[in-house]
Amino acid sequence: MKSLVAPAETAVAEAAPPPKSLSMRMPRLKRAQVLAGVAFLALGFLPLAFGSFGLYIAAYVAVWAMLELSIVVVTGYAGMISLMPFTFVGIGACTTGVAVAVWGWPFWLAVPLAALATVPVSVMVGAASVRLKGLYLAIATLTFGNALGETLFKWDDFTGGQAGHVMERPKLGALSFSGDFAFYVLSIATALLMVWAVHGLKNSRAGRAMLAVRDNEREAQALGINATKAKLTALVVGGMIAGVGGAFYLALLETVARSGFQSPYVELTSLLLVVWAVIGGIDSAFGAFLGAIALITQTVVFQGAERVFAYVGVYAAFVLIIFLLLRPGGIVQVVKIQAERIRENPSRAIPASIIGFGIQVAIIVVILVYGAE
Amino acid sequence: MVLAAPVIEVASFGLARGAVYALLALGLVLIYRTTGVTNFAHWGLGLFGLVAYFLLTSKAGMSPVLAAILSVLLAGASGAASYQAVFRHVKRTNQVVLILIALGVAQFAAVVAQMLLGFEATTLVEPWLPVSRVNVGNAAVFSTQIVAAGAAIAIAMMFLPWFRYSRTGRALRAVAQNREAASLAGIDEHRYSTIAWAIGSALAGLALLLIIPFTAGDRGGVITAVETTPFGNFLIPAFGAALVGGLVNLPLAVVGGFVFGIAQEMMILAPSWWSTRRSVVAAILIVILLLAHTERFFVVRAEQEALEA
Repeated sequence: MKSLVAPAETAVAEAAPPPKSLSMRMPRLKRAQVLAGVAFLALGFLPLAFGSFGLYIAAYVAVWAMLELSIVVVTGYAGMISLMPFTFVGIGACTTGVAVAVWGWPFWLAVPLAALATVPVSVMVGAASVRLKGLYLAIATLTFGNALGETLFKWDDFTGGQAGHVMERPKLGALSFSGDFAFYVLSIATALLMVWAVHGLKNSRAGRAMLAVRDNEREAQALGINATKAKLTALVVGGMIAGVGGAFYLALLETVARSGFQSPYVELTSLLLVVWAVIGGIDSAFGAFLGAIALITQTVVFQGAERVFAYVGVYAAFVLIIFLLLRPGGIVQVVKIQAERIRENPSRAIPASIIGFGIQVAIIVVILVYGAE
Repeated sequence: MVLAAPVIEVASFGLARGAVYALLALGLVLIYRTTGVTNFAHWGLGLFGLVAYFLLTSKAGMSPVLAAILSVLLAGASGAASYQAVFRHVKRTNQVVLILIALGVAQFAAVVAQMLLGFEATTLVEPWLPVSRVNVGNAAVFSTQIVAAGAAIAIAMMFLPWFRYSRTGRALRAVAQNREAASLAGIDEHRYSTIAWAIGSALAGLALLLIIPFTAGDRGGVITAVETTPFGNFLIPAFGAALVGGLVNLPLAVVGGFVFGIAQEMMILAPSWWSTRRSVVAAILIVILLLAHTERFFVVRAEQEALEA
């Protein structure tokens, strides 16, 4: 199996000569990080301008970013296609529901439990992944998600029946996170912490093992990397992230109906998660955030406006295919290449970037105007 | 031995379902073997045909039989178009990207289908075959179920010798077994890959047309929200059927289709603990088939390496 993003790296390399030493490269990375941080802070204050609804959407984005992060680890880093990410979210959400609503645990203890509850399923998928590569694993996970929807998510004690468990937003001593602003801050802080951790994972020993296995499993094994361990780690970490995301998903919505975790809706949502992770940038933690922003703003803003949602969906599928053919690193890669070009040749690249961005905005505006008629 | 009426009736539902799985699996195998794409968009491409049939009969007022023929051709064209537009540009060794692209096409097809159907929760489609009750023993089964099963078997009977002995069929197999040698022998890889996609998708369109317009018996059928999801309710068992032949063997894929279809319907008669867990049984079967790597029994070593690269 070839690297998912190999063309990404070569494209960057074509745009600029490779740095001669690591020390030359460091300052540029730092500056990019500072810029990203500033952009994030600015984005962080944006929802305030839209009041309670804006904060709700922003919290939704943060929670969805956690869910996307699980795909970044499993598919982006380790190169395994799992078509059941939303099943893990369901396990996390239902476990939290049982722990808080039935056993009366505090939310903070339920979150680690939700993460742990996904481990058995991850290990099951991991056992399959040892022998199944690529498409075989994709088919296996598709059927696992389907089968768990008919067993685990039909179990009333676990799911809280047809309507699901009802849970209040968490409290910490006297501090309550039930308000929209407080919950927004909590979820965005957690999501950013997870983005930072997943970004760090990429450069850790375990993360590099995953990337090596993704790029060439046999070569990685020849170098002494335990491929089974790397895959299993990716699946368990990805599952735990989705489990934590599920806990916050329940806290955000306060109740989750189990039909969302049953066929065919679980496949639908899992597919959406994968599609938007790719559009954002599947091997980048930051890309997960971009994917989540794009998906949730359209989902929540156009709830009920099915036509607009569908037009955006068609456009997204189109963008996804173009990206996979030309820019497999997603939005993150496009931004990187554009930044590189601006550095190289500002007078040509800046107008080109503005025109490109303008075309995107124009398409979205046309969709909105046409769809909302 | 005389079978009880409910058994025959349920079995006939199973036959119709099995026919759909068999036709879907045939297309999946054909596309995977010739082009190396695990076609997660198979249902979506078939859906194009169904939606075209609905539009041609209800909006354009075309006669149902003519519309059915046209929409099967349209489904085939959409498959050929998706190969030309997208899949031919990705190396077949890059499985992860191929699967992700197939998922994107599936998403695209599902949303376009919803748009064309006008976002209705359920859409009525008229039947294109005469629907009547046929007495088999003491049970009454729908004529369309027999037609569906017969059509699938007939197509398989025609398709398999054609794939084996005709010039096009041999070229398709040559492309599957060794692309380089095939192109050295003057076989245009892309031309035959396009043909494989067209045939596979046309079969998917036919599969949907054989079951969906008859879901409500002689009143026609309905397209529901389930059908317009990217994988529908049929794609997972169709993959299971295709895996009976290791995703490479055509006759076994057809057999697998009927086995999965009949087993799925017959389990309704089982005690409720079993009948409510049919997808679990299917999942276990599929995982066993996956773990057995059945493809190694059916293809020569060179082709297996080409597929696994």
